[in-house]
Formats: sequence, C-alpha cells, structure tokens
Amino acid sequence: MEYKVSLGPQHPALHEAVSLRMTLDGEVIRDADLKLGYSHRGIEKLAEERSYIQNIYLTERICGICSHSHTTCFTQGVEQLMELVPARRGLFIRTLIAELERVHSHLLWLGVAGQEAGFESFFMYTWRDREVVLDILEWISGNRVHYAMNIFGGVRRDIDELQRKKILDSLDLLKKRTDYYLNLAASEPTFVGRLAGVGKLSREDAIALCAVGPTLRASGIASDVRKDDPYAVYGEIPFEVATADSCDVLGRAVVRVKELISSYAMIEFLLKNLPEGPFKVKAPRKVKPNEVYSRYEAPRGENVHYIKSNGSDKPERLKVRAPTLANYPATIAMLKKGFIADIPLIFAAIDPCICCAERLVQLDDARRGDSRVLSFSQLRSMANERAKKIDFKKRKIAWPF
Amino acid sequence: MAILKPILYILVYPGLLFLMVYSTFCEWFDRKLYARMQNRIGPLHTGRAGILQPVADIIKLFAKEDIVPEQADKRMFSALPVFALAIVCTAALYLPVWHYSTAPSFNSFPGDLIVVVYLLSLPTLIFFLAGWHSTNYFSAIGGVRVLTMLFGYEIPLLLALLSPAVLAGSWRLVEIAVFYQNHPLLMLANVIGFVIAVICLQAKLERVPFDIPHAETEIVGGQFTEYSGKKLAFFRLLGDIEMVVGAGLIAAVFLGGFPGGLLPGLAWFIVKTLFIIFLLAALRAATSRIRIDQMISFSWRWLAPLAVLQLFIAIIIKGSAS
Amino acid sequence: MSLRIAPFLPELLRSLFKKPVTVKYPFEKEAVPKDFRGTVVFDPAKCIGCNICVNDCPAEAIDIIRVSETEKKFKMILHNDRCIHCAQCVDSCPTKTYHMDLEYETAAFSRWDLKIEYK
Ligand code: SF4
Ligand code: SF4
Repeated sequence: MEYKVSLGPQHPALHEAVSLRMTLDGEVIRDADLKLGYSHRGIEKLAEERSYIQNIYLTERICGICSHSHTTCFTQGVEQLMELVPARRGLFIRTLIAELERVHSHLLWLGVAGQEAGFESFFMYTWRDREVVLDILEWISGNRVHYAMNIFGGVRRDIDELQRKKILDSLDLLKKRTDYYLNLAASEPTFVGRLAGVGKLSREDAIALCAVGPTLRASGIASDVRKDDPYAVYGEIPFEVATADSCDVLGRAVVRVKELISSYAMIEFLLKNLPEGPFKVKAPRKVKPNEVYSRYEAPRGENVHYIKSNGSDKPERLKVRAPTLANYPATIAMLKKGFIADIPLIFAAIDPCICCAERLVQLDDARRGDSRVLSFSQLRSMANERAKKIDFKKRKIAWPF
Repeated sequence: MAILKPILYILVYPGLLFLMVYSTFCEWFDRKLYARMQNRIGPLHTGRAGILQPVADIIKLFAKEDIVPEQADKRMFSALPVFALAIVCTAALYLPVWHYSTAPSFNSFPGDLIVVVYLLSLPTLIFFLAGWHSTNYFSAIGGVRVLTMLFGYEIPLLLALLSPAVLAGSWRLVEIAVFYQNHPLLMLANVIGFVIAVICLQAKLERVPFDIPHAETEIVGGQFTEYSGKKLAFFRLLGDIEMVVGAGLIAAVFLGGFPGGLLPGLAWFIVKTLFIIFLLAALRAATSRIRIDQMISFSWRWLAPLAVLQLFIAIIIKGSAS
Repeated sequence: MSLRIAPFLPELLRSLFKKPVTVKYPFEKEAVPKDFRGTVVFDPAKCIGCNICVNDCPAEAIDIIRVSETEKKFKMILHNDRCIHCAQCVDSCPTKTYHMDLEYETAAFSRWDLKIEYK
C-alpha cells in the first residue's frame, strides 16, 4: 500500500527547514518531492541597499559553514568590476583560508554522515578533530565561523611567522587523523554497508541534472572550478581533482576525504610559498556601471554570484546561486530509488545548506499580471485570516491503517 | 514467614525496588562508558559524577505534558507502557538471584528459561502495538520494523540460550547456573553462543547498530514518536530494566549465575551484569546503524547458522561426556 | 581496503582511559587568541566625527552623537545586540578610535541591556 510521508520541515535528520515529501511503499520510496521556502531571508534584496563594503559581511552570512566562499565569490566579482588587481600576498592568504575552510567543512560533513547513519562515535571523533582547524582559523582571523578576512584588494589580516609554524604543526595531526578516518570509514562493515550502493547517480544523470561539487565528482566527472577556471592563486598550485567512480554515497565520502588530503598539501604549499609584500591594496568606494559573473568552488560545489553595478557605491543587483540549489534535482533523482533508511544519508550526501539556497519568491497576481509588494505585517494578517477560515474540528483526517 | 519471602522477592530484591534503582544505575554506567569511549565526559552534574542523571531524566519526563493523539485508541495507548513494564519486571523475578542450591522455590521450576525468554519477547509485541496505535506514519513504520526485526534475532537468541542448557542437561536456570559453577571449564564451550546472545540482546534492546525501529534520523522516534510525558518515562524505564534482565539472563545461563547466597550473590549479579553491559556499550560505540534488510540478512546468514553450530558443539560435548 | 571486525574498538578503549576533551565551559574557560574579535571599544578622545564608521558598519550598530555645540566632542552608542563583531569599524576609522577586546560572554536577558554608551 502506498502512503505519503513528509520528512520535515522539522525532522531530526534535517538541520534546517525543508520538506521532503515521500511516497512510500513499505520501506521503499516510490516517489520523492522537495518543498522549499521555509527560511527565506531576503538577502539579495538586502544587498541592494547596502554598500559594497557592507555587502562583504552580508554575503558572509549567507552560509555559516562556507562563509569564506560567499565573500570570496562576491569580493572577486567586485574586484573585477573595479578593475582592481589584489595584492599577491593577500590572494595567497585568501586561498589559504579557503582551503582551511574546506578542511573544516569536509570534516564536519564526515561527522554529519556518521550521525545520519547512526554512527555517533565517528561523529564525536571527527568533530573533536575539527576543533584543530577551527582553532587555526580563530587564531588567524579572530573568529571561529565568520572569518571576515576578505576586503577589496586583498585580505584584512596578515599571517605572521608564528602562525605559519603553528598551522604547519597542526597539519601533521590533521593528516594523521584524516588517514585514520579514511581507514576506519572504509573498513567498518556496518558503516560501509550503509553507504555503499546507496543514492546512485549515474554519470549521464549527474550531467543532465546539473549536479555540482563532490556529488558530481563522485559520478566520475572531474569538474572543479579551481581547475577549470582558476581564480585567486589556484592556477599556480599543483593539485589533482579528486573523483570517484562508484556514483554512490560512499563515493561522495571518498571524494571528500581525498579533497581533505589534497587540501592539506595545498595549505602546505601556500604557507611555504607565501610571497612577501603588502597584503592589501587600496580600493575605490564607487564602482563603474558594469556586470560580472563570479564563480568559486565552495566545499559543497560551484558557487555563483552575479553582480550588477550602476556607478554608485551600492550594487544594483546581486544574484547568488548556492551549490545546494544546483544539487536538488539530482537529490530527488537519487531518492527515488532508495529505502527510507537511505533518505537522511542521500540528502546529507549533497551536504545541504538549505538556508543558503532559499531565494526570493515573488507572488504575482496571475489574472492581472502585476506584482505586489507586501509588508511583513500584511503577510501576517493574511496568514491569520486564512488560518481562521480552517475548521480544525471538522477536518477529520482518516487514519488509513 | 513462608509468605514473607515471596513478598520480599517481588517488592524488594530482585523485584521492583532493586530493579528501579539498579536499572537507573546501569543506564548511568552505560551512558558514562559510551561517553568516555567517545572522549566525552557524559553525565556530570546530577549527583556524584552524574549518577542520578537517569533518575532526573525520568522525574523530568513525569512532569511533562502527556499528549495522546486525537485518533489514537486512548485506553490502548495508555495501557501499553504499563503492561510492558509489568511484563519485564515479572521476567526479572525468575532470575536465580537468591538460590545457591537447587532447592525448589516458588519461582523456580523446570523450563523457567523458556518463560523468561518468552516474557522478554512480549515487550517487542507491545512496541509494535504502541507504534500501530499511535496513528502516526513514523510510529507505524517503527512498529512494523520492530516485528520484522523480531524475526531476525529471536530464533538465534533462543538457539544460543538453549545450547548451554542442553550441555547442562536442564532447562531450569538454577540448575544451569549450578552446573557451570561446578564445571567452569565447560563455559568455554559456549563462547560462540555467548557472543550471539549478546548481539541478540543488543537487537532486543534496540540499541545501535540495531536501533532501526526508532532510528531518529530516519523515522523520528519510531514507535515512540507520539509518546510523551509519563508514558515515555515508562518506556524508558522499561528499556533500562530490560537491559538488566537480559544481562542477568545471559549471566545466569553463560557465566555461571550468582553463587554464594544473598550478598555474594548480589555482588556477582552486579559484576556480571555490568560486564555484559560493558560489552553492549562497546558494541554500541563501535558500530553504525544498519538497515532493516541488512539486519535480517545478517542474522540469518551469520547468527542463526552460528547458533546452530553452537548447539551441535553442545550436543557433541554432551554426547562424548556421557 | 577490506572490511574488518570492529576496527574502531582499539581507539574507543584507549579513550576510556584518556582524559576527556570536553571543556566544562561555564566553570572552565578557554583562552581566546589575542586577535580575537570581541566587543568594540571606543575612545572618545580620538574621534573626529567623520561618520565613516557609521556608514561602513554592516549592522548599523553605531551611533556617533555630537555632545557639545562648540567643541568637537563625540559620544558613541554601540548597539551590541546588532553588532556582528566584524571589526570593519576598527579598519575604517581614520584615527584608530576603535579596538576590540577579548570579551565573548555578552549574552543578556534583554537586548536593551546590550546597549553600550561610550562618552
Ligand atoms: S564590529 Fe562590525 S558590526 Fe560591530 S560596530 Fe563595528 S562595524 Fe559595526
Ligand atoms: S570613523 Fe572614527 S573618527 Fe570617524 S566618526 Fe567613526 S569613530 Fe569617529
């Protein structure tokens, strides 16, 4: 017998509000759908009323985990608009923070995968060791989550010799632990049993559904903005794009662990080759009318900012496409073939950042064809009116079993 | 005087009072071990080293609002937790804690091993009913998973428990225990059975890797999704007591019971059950939850054949000894 | 890599005899690095009232108010409930009026308690 179950908007497996509508047949998923829009924050509209400098901090708050990704994407775009060449040392530090962020994000993901699979010890251990990289970030930038390192023309803080040494020391520990987790995750039968063969996404589907990031790379496609369209100093760093051919959740885990290992090598390279010189250059406040499309490889996949300037000190339009949004169609396709027990794992395997992907929904009056702007209080009274009309007593929902 | 002993038995030791106190202690022990294995502290503030934390949790649950779903069968919904608790407490009465001889007592008779196993499998049925009567999809899925899992672990568990009984030549817990006290070396013959029994007990208690029926990242709380307040507290207490009884059963059957009268027997009981709880905690910490189909295929591909093998070993040893 | 039985167990048992890493937070406090971005501190003697900080603050958490008609003297009201601790004001100010201290326990029961006035 088929029945419909909605996972979310509140559900222990989901850390943010999203609704997964499942049509189930026993333990098997027959159909899946996704409802978004529970946590829209109006960031794009807000950006139009903020100056470029203020917008750095606004874009930082699009996402808590890949906070550096969004600011870098935005800053790079605005630097292009300003026709500004950032300081070389600044670019190195920017890249360094980006890679440290990738390390912390991927370690976080490993823990989340463990937690979703019910492997709590794994979660505790990976998150314990993630503290090491968070401490490094706090040491460099002054904060654990929102580093606020980017400014037009470079970065805001320099790295001194002592910090350089400390990071290199901590890297050894991280490398050791990552190797241990790789071994552990690949040899614990219960964990491998949960990940292997789950959430299949074939190479063709991954391309057709426009997956990005580790989800795409785990389907055997070596696509990485850092390689394909190098920004910052990625053009100079030797690294391989990590891929896996198993097309399942295990493959996505493997890709992330491989990326962790290549990130450690990159961090080492960056610290060893850190050029001397200023770490930022002065930037103008106003920006000539133009538009730009900026790409960045966030830990979750390709991050895109479109910025349009109009000559003032505020952008005319900022469009943000977070990687999670690009991965939703692929997620639905993956969910359709699974069991109930696979739902949290498949969904977690894209490393969803739901709030980052929620964008404006404009309600047009379909008949008259015009749009309205509603204030918050208007929306509230509309909702209240609607709720009053529903007679909860009369609405008997029949229990099918 | 003759009536006093059964009353003490039911109310104090190993009856209600002891079970309540000791099971909360066991939960604390389990939680603390689990936390320390994960390099955490675990319960800390309530009582010395957090030892009263499980009690505090239960008191807190008793104080919480108790909600019954609108469409649920109210009486059934409320009666189930109490029934389940009563059944598990009854099972505890058959544990051979006060006996150091084979002298018959009111609660010891040939075949009480089977009665304990039977009583311990009843809560599973109640979990299913609880899930089914909650009128919630997650609960219903959880309830069905409870039953599906039952088919996986119940038979290996029974087979594993039978082989020491076969070797001892008795289906009476006291006699099995006394047999292994007299022939401690023969305990080694049942190692496979012991491992299987511990794994099956883990499945019965629905703990990782077998917490499939109430896997919270999949189906929220499974059969307990709609339960809150007092009723949930009953279910939690039930889980703790079931852990004690299950560990006690395995200790009685495989580890030579609890010899030496009242106090040494109590000491043995605590040592042996805590050892088994330690194994359960280590198993919980070292594994990830598996899927229901994996659980069933695991128990039929590995546990059941191994249990049969264990039974053969027992029969062969028995045959060569006599 | 092949599957093994309980590969995690040695590490778990080792942890059993190690000191837990948990920091008992409200009782034990971890030190923050010296560059930590805590609460904004304002030095009224240095401010020239150019209002750059007010314009650059992304959270609109700064009010600069002139206190006397004749002198160039200013006081600052920090709405610490809105401040996002980005330190842009520290960077923007031409006279280095601001610095950030190491205070991170700023929770309060009311957002009005978080308002700080520097005169
Ligand atoms: S730290 Fe940032 S948010 Fe806070 S007052 Fe300064 S500029 Fe404003
Ligand atoms: S930027 Fe500095 S000098 Fe100017 S108003 Fe702000 S605090 Fe005063």
